[in-house]
Amino acid sequence: MSEYLEEYPIERNDIGNAGTVASLTKRALKKRGFSPEFIKRVTIGVYEAEINVVIHSYGGNAKIHISDDLCEITFVDRGPGIPCIDDAMQAGFSTASPYAIENGFGAGMGLPNIKAVSDEMSLESSDEGTKLTMRFFKE
Amino acid sequence: MTTKDIATHENFTQINTTKESSKPVEKLFASDLLSNVMAQTNEHDCLLTMLNNINVIGVASLNDLSCVVFTQGVKVKQELIDKANELDIPLFSTQFSTVDAIIALTKVDHDETLL
Repeated sequence: MSEYLEEYPIERNDIGNAGTVASLTKRALKKRGFSPEFIKRVTIGVYEAEINVVIHSYGGNAKIHISDDLCEITFVDRGPGIPCIDDAMQAGFSTASPYAIENGFGAGMGLPNIKAVSDEMSLESSDEGTKLTMRFFKE
Repeated sequence: MTTKDIATHENFTQINTTKESSKPVEKLFASDLLSNVMAQTNEHDCLLTMLNNINVIGVASLNDLSCVVFTQGVKVKQELIDKANELDIPLFSTQFSTVDAIIALTKVDHDETLL
């Protein structure tokens, strides 16, 4: 099976299209015959990260890499960054705007959910932007 | 239970048009937080919510939910109805509160496995 490598832009506050990257990733994994359990884990992680870029950042992009036994997704945004990563990793901690909360987001479960579903997660942030990488290994 | 059982229930009204006449409903799940819905639901679940937002349909599609029930008489926005039609996801409306809607649906076929 050939490798899948795609990059998608994500716009700030584009709530209407939030979930597009998750949907495209899910479709690509399904086409490559990954298990429903694996696809579910990846979809949750990608969805949460995508929403974070939409509601917290000035915009960014997602790079999806799928090979036979690995799915690696990297989200990079253009700031303003996460002031304290330790706080952000706590379930229920949120700095979401009223706009995000009105739209059903901002429960403070995004990063904890990503950590829970992924096999590896790395997160770096400064006021220039945030880089989140998650890896999922085929069982 | 199936989506047809919900469609024919006197207290629930289907508010969109779908091609598939009936889908299985294996569990009921209630939440107004999309992270929660995303992480906790599975294929063939029915989501009960008051959240009147296009992303409800996106999450329902991503997790292959059988249908969405909008409770407490929420007037669902047309953009949700159009998107659900496109994705063939049945949408229902009820005047019941979320809790009362769950109680009513579990009485269909006395199906407590839905909880």
